[in-house]
This record gives sequence, C-alpha cells and structure tokens, in this order.
Amino acid sequence: MTGRRMNDPSKTIVVTGIGVVSPYGIGLDCLQAGMLSGKCCLTPTKDLYPGFEGSTAHVGTLPLAAKENTPRYSRSDRLAMVAARDAVRESGRESAAFRASGVMMASTVAGLSEIDPAIAHDPAAWYRNGDGLLRAASYPAAHVADAVGDDLGIGGPRCAISAACASSAMAIALAANLLLDGAAPMMLAGGSDALCPFTLSGFNSLQALDPDPCRPFDQNRKGLNLGEGAAVLVLETLDRAMARNANILAVLRGWAMTNDAFHSTAPQAQGNGLADCMRLAMEMAEARCDDIGYVNAHGTGTPLNDVAESNAYETTFHSRSRPVPVSSTKSYFGHCLGAAGALEAAITIMAVRCGALLPTLRLTDPIESPSVNWLRGGIQRETLPVAMSVSAGFGGSNTALIFGSSGFGNGLA
Amino acid sequence: MTPNLLTITGIGSVSPYGALAGLIPQSTAEPEPEPVTAWPTAGLRRAFLVKPFRPASVVPGLKTRRLDRLSAWALVASSLALQDAGIDLSQMDQNKMDQNKTDQNKNDQNKTDQNKNDQNKTDQNKVDRSRVAVVFGTGFGCAELTEAFYQSAAVNGWRGTDPSPFPEGLANAPASHVALWHGLRGPNITLGSKGVAAESALIQAASLLRRGQADLAIVLAGDTLTRAIYEWYEAAGLLSPACCNAEPLPGSPQEPGGSVLSGFIPSEGVVALVLEPAGRREARAYAHFNSGRWMTGGQPVESIRQMLGGAVPSLVICAGSGLPCANGSTTALAREISGADAAIVSPRTAPPQIVPPNAVAAGLPDTSAFLHLILALSSRPRGGQALLLGTSGSGTSGSGTSGDRGFAALLLELPCP
Repeated sequence: MTGRRMNDPSKTIVVTGIGVVSPYGIGLDCLQAGMLSGKCCLTPTKDLYPGFEGSTAHVGTLPLAAKENTPRYSRSDRLAMVAARDAVRESGRESAAFRASGVMMASTVAGLSEIDPAIAHDPAAWYRNGDGLLRAASYPAAHVADAVGDDLGIGGPRCAISAACASSAMAIALAANLLLDGAAPMMLAGGSDALCPFTLSGFNSLQALDPDPCRPFDQNRKGLNLGEGAAVLVLETLDRAMARNANILAVLRGWAMTNDAFHSTAPQAQGNGLADCMRLAMEMAEARCDDIGYVNAHGTGTPLNDVAESNAYETTFHSRSRPVPVSSTKSYFGHCLGAAGALEAAITIMAVRCGALLPTLRLTDPIESPSVNWLRGGIQRETLPVAMSVSAGFGGSNTALIFGSSGFGNGLA
Repeated sequence: MTPNLLTITGIGSVSPYGALAGLIPQSTAEPEPEPVTAWPTAGLRRAFLVKPFRPASVVPGLKTRRLDRLSAWALVASSLALQDAGIDLSQMDQNKMDQNKTDQNKNDQNKTDQNKNDQNKTDQNKVDRSRVAVVFGTGFGCAELTEAFYQSAAVNGWRGTDPSPFPEGLANAPASHVALWHGLRGPNITLGSKGVAAESALIQAASLLRRGQADLAIVLAGDTLTRAIYEWYEAAGLLSPACCNAEPLPGSPQEPGGSVLSGFIPSEGVVALVLEPAGRREARAYAHFNSGRWMTGGQPVESIRQMLGGAVPSLVICAGSGLPCANGSTTALAREISGADAAIVSPRTAPPQIVPPNAVAAGLPDTSAFLHLILALSSRPRGGQALLLGTSGSGTSGSGTSGDRGFAALLLELPCP
C-alpha cells in the first residue's frame, strides 16, 4: 500500500472532517456510540406517517435558528446544513482556502418533501397559496448544495449529484477528482435526504418495503426500510492538510464509478458492473483483494440487490486467502437513499479508525457466498488498514470508495 | 495542443430548432415562441417548444415508447452525437476489440497498405463500452414524471400511487437510459448546478477523461418544460411579456438588443456532445476544451483572467441562465473580460466578439450553454480562443434572481474554418 499516488502529498486525498446527522443524533461520536451499542433506530412508520406500514428511521428536531426553519430550506437542506456545520467544526475553517471550498452534495429527495399533491391540480394556485413559491424553489437537487454553500459562506464550485442511491458516494468520488484537478482547495462532499411521503409512497408502490425491520443478505429478506439523514466529508489534498496541521481522519485511497447498462431498476444479476467498480477502485488504491479488511455493503435487503451484490463479491474476492468481512449497516437505521453512500463512507472510516467491524442486524440465515464472511452477531475487532464502501442505485449506477488509515501519526484514534 | 486537450467530435441536439446531428444549418429558420397547449392556461401563454416528433424517425430502431420526453430526447441527442462523431458502437467491448486486433494481425500479412489504413481508421472509431462515460447536466430532471407521480397521489392518495413514474422520475433516469441503450458501462453521472449545469457537466466529463477514468464521454444537458415549471416562473414574475401576447418578437433572437433583453421566454431541449482526448483518432474537431473555471463567489474576472493566462479570447459566448438578471450579468462579465470596447454582436456578423444570450437557448434555465455553443459554432466563427460563459442566479434566495456572481467559464480553442 505504498503506491505512487500515495507518495505524492499533492495527489493524496485525505478526509479532515466528518459531519453526520443520523437517527442517532448529530455527530460521528453519536453514530459510533449508537451503532457500537447495537441499537436499531427503526420504528413503526405509522407513528410518523399514518397509513403506512413497516419501519423507518427518523432524525428528530434539528438544532437550527428560527430563521433557518423557513420554507426557503427543505428538510433535506436543513439536514445537509447541520451535517456540514458538524464536518467543518471538526476540520476547522481555514480562511482563504475554506472560503474557496467547493460543495458537492447529493440528494434524491431535495425539496420534494416540501411539495404536496395539491400542486398537481393547479400549480399556479398552489404557488399563490402561502409560501408555495418559496417551497417549490427548493425542488432542484442543486438547492441542497447552495444551502450548504450559502450557510458556510463558501464560494467554490457547487454541484448536486443524482445517481439514485449511489449519489453521495459518487459525490465524494467526483469531489476527489475536482481536488486533483485543482478546481478548489477543499471540497465538502456528501449527501442528504429527508424522509417524506413522496419516497415512502414510491417505494411502497414498487412493493420494495419490508413490513418488518429489514434483514439485508438474509435468505428471508423481504425488502428495505427507509431512513433519513445526512453526512458530509471534508476532503483536501494531503499537502494542504499538513500545511495547516489539520487532523487527518482517513485517506481516500481509491474510488471508481461504473454502470450496469442492464435495466432501469434491477441490478445485473451477476453483479458484473459492481464487481468492475470494486476492481477499478482497488486498482486506483493499489490494493490487492486480500488488503481489503472490511466492506460496508450497499445491502438494501431487497431480493434482487442482495443477490447481485453477493455475486459481485464472489467475482471480486474469490482469490482471497480468507473470506472478506462484509456487513450492511442499513439494518441499523434504514436506507437513507441519496445520503446513504456518504453515511456509509463515514461508517467505513469509523471502522478503520476504531477497528470495529459492525455486524448486520437480524442476519440469521445468510445468502451462501463462500468468499464472504457475513458479519453477524457481535462486533468483530480487527486492525483495518483499508476498507471499502460500496453503493449502487436505480439506473445501474455503482460507486466504490476505499478508505485507509492515514498512517501519518496525526490524530488517529 | 497540450496533452490535456480534449475535443468535441460529435454534436446531437433536440431543441426548438429540431432534432439535428452536428451544427444548426444557417438555413434553419429562427424559432418563434409557440402557444402552450400541453396544459390549460389562463389565456395565451407562449414558449420555445420542441415540436413533437417520432424518435424512431430520427434514429431508426430507437425505442422510446415507455419513456418521458427528457429520456427520449437524451437518447435521440446522444445517438445523433455518436453518429456525428463517427463512433462505431457495434463492437466496442474490450474483449471483442482484443480479438479483432488478433484477427487483424493475422490478416495484415495478406493486406495491401491501403486496406491496412482503412482497417486502422475503422478500428480507431471503436471504443471499449466499459470506458465510455455519460455525464448529464439538468436543472429539473424528469419533472414530467415527478408531476405525474404527484397527480397520481392527488387522485389516489399517497397509498395508491402509480409505481411507473417513480423510478423513471429520478433525475438520473435519462443518463441511465443512454447507458442502457448504447451499452455504456463507464461512469454515469447526473448533476445539477444552478444556472450552469451544462458547463459543470463538461468540466466533470473532462476530469473523468483526464484522470483516465474514461476514454470517451457523452456529455448532455437538458430539461423539459412542464406546467409546474412554467407556472413557477410566471408566479415569480420572471416571464417576458412576449409569453402572453401573440406579437412577433421585436427582433431575431440572435440579434443584440432584440427580444432577449425584454425578458425570459421558457424553452426546452437536450444537447449532447461527444468529448474525447484530442488526437485519439482522426475525427472532426468542432472545438477543443482546454480548461474551465466554476465558482459561486470570489472574483470571477480575476479567476477567468488567470485561466486565460493573459490572452483575450476572440469570442465570448454568453450562455446566460435564462433569467434576465443573469443574462445581464453574463454580458457584463464578458465585457469586463474582453474590454469595454468589445462589440456585442450577433454571431452571424463577422468578426464576432461577444455573443449575447440567445433567446431560444436562454430559455433553458440551467442547461443552455450547449445550445448557445452550437449556435455560435454554427455561425462558423474564425479560429482562436473562445470563452463559453455562464452565470448563475445562484444561492438560496428563493427566486433565483439575486444576480450574484456565480459563474462557469469554459476555455475552448476553435479550429480554423
């Protein structure tokens, strides 16, 4: 793991801040404490959305000022703003470089949470009614990036990424590309998605929701549960981070994006696109398949995804000396859609930093996969030099991110 | 040419000018705003609309019956762009390419030099499908299907919605359909960036190519005009008075001081560009992409001048963002870069210096840059450096009318005609 890119501080991407808003609360510490305790945040959906069955995970009231709780900001905006503040609190606000930072945020919901079906009958009337015009302005996904950028007063490139459930992992990958291009000195990258009737209804109509708490990779899995949250990583090059004596939390060693080109919603059953994606990320990281100490899986709990993903792991890791440890942390707080990739990147970094491999909850009868060590039961403790986070989404999008410990003796847990 | 130079080798577009491969012919009539009939309106409402057409009549064999207009147009535009670029999609898989190479080596011994050259040219036009990226910039994504889903919820309640518009309504559906139709397994990215989604898509695609994450990229930008979008602009007071009367526009959309300055007339369409490393193969070069700057704040003039390295581009193409104040700020920014003496002229007048936002293209609020680019290229400008400039009414002020100085600037090198 001493590749050419890793030896050049100007071409090494490091993580110097992590902000998280999850059903456990605000901050990575909160997430870590909650997950290490084995707490599941899934609760009956009908408590929040009467009429809907199943389980969801919800973030409570956000610590925002009254002026920020206006229709100008959607709930996805607000989740993102809180996560970004949390990320920046940790990474520090270096003056000039920070002001020139870019924002790459993902969201599939964005402002849809603020729009109700009455708009369909007569949009003009809906806009005239109260604050409809302002609420609808938060509809484009780009609004989330603007909310974060405006809130923090930063003026680099701003962009919203839409790749369904792979969106925020892709945002991190593309932000890393932009850093290497010199487009900005720092990038805030992540995702944010609010739980709302629109997505609940959509996944319900697709019959993709598990009526019970989900069981990713279990033979008896029935579907997914929805959650909400946001995560933002502060990314910069190692030389810049060292120059400002930043606390380096992890190294983003490799990343890759592919597409299945197979079906609008279904993954390619053999997981070829995902396997290609993992292979490309490992090539960039100059890592062999034996180097990967843990994979945080996409693991939605749907019948099709989990089989395709298992097959991708077989293709990728069949030559390992021992099965690769894999778990799906969606079993803790559901599928946060556009925020999932960034939240799981944060969890992967957490695993690297504290050497704790979290099990998949409720996994009793795993899919047969000889190359995979399905983590279940208790927490497995292991020193992890390198771990991978895998994301996939409707439309065949795949993204793999590989994180490693910094190894620079700077602020490691 | 620097090794990092990338070339636009193919263009396809679906716009109020029609569905076209390559540049827009000079003989093409300028579109006029047409009455909106797709939804009930309170009196006459006009927009620059894409005339209904059958995609399979433009791209034989194309299947779009189940798709919304944005996805269908993305398929048409990407197909036309690939065709225009001369890309051979028939055998783009790497394993097949390797086999072809082996076969070719065997056959080479028996071929004449002329045959070898022909074969080499044919092979140059083949690309590994797993190394082709799709990057799609959009402001509103599949808004038609989102509205259809809300309609379903309004009629049946949230518990009884129609499943079909839901996954297809995701913003990345058009890019996914492009990948699916052409079998492209490289990075597939959909992005939005207020006012400058097209420009940012080109910058991201260039990054993928320069980082070796793809060998070729299909870069698209586009939006469809829907009732909710149109009525939002109307409620926000952003529409041109020309939207509500039957008067002919006061001047050609491409003439400075014409209708473009009187307000915003919504439009729609998708433009696709094929982007690949310069010199990868023998192909037509519409323009070379050199570099881009893309910021939301800071000092745009200084940043762009830094990118230009002291040069003054011979042509500045103002993309605007479709909003009157942004159009104004784009032109003002262009003047600051080009100097106060620079003439603001139509691209049909030679020699052009600053091309103001075109009314037809400016009505594509977030994705207009590519249509502005091909309109400018269609006027056969002389070679040299060109700047494609867009500004965004960025920020969360709600109306998008803050007129701040978010911008994207793409430095292009135009081959001599």
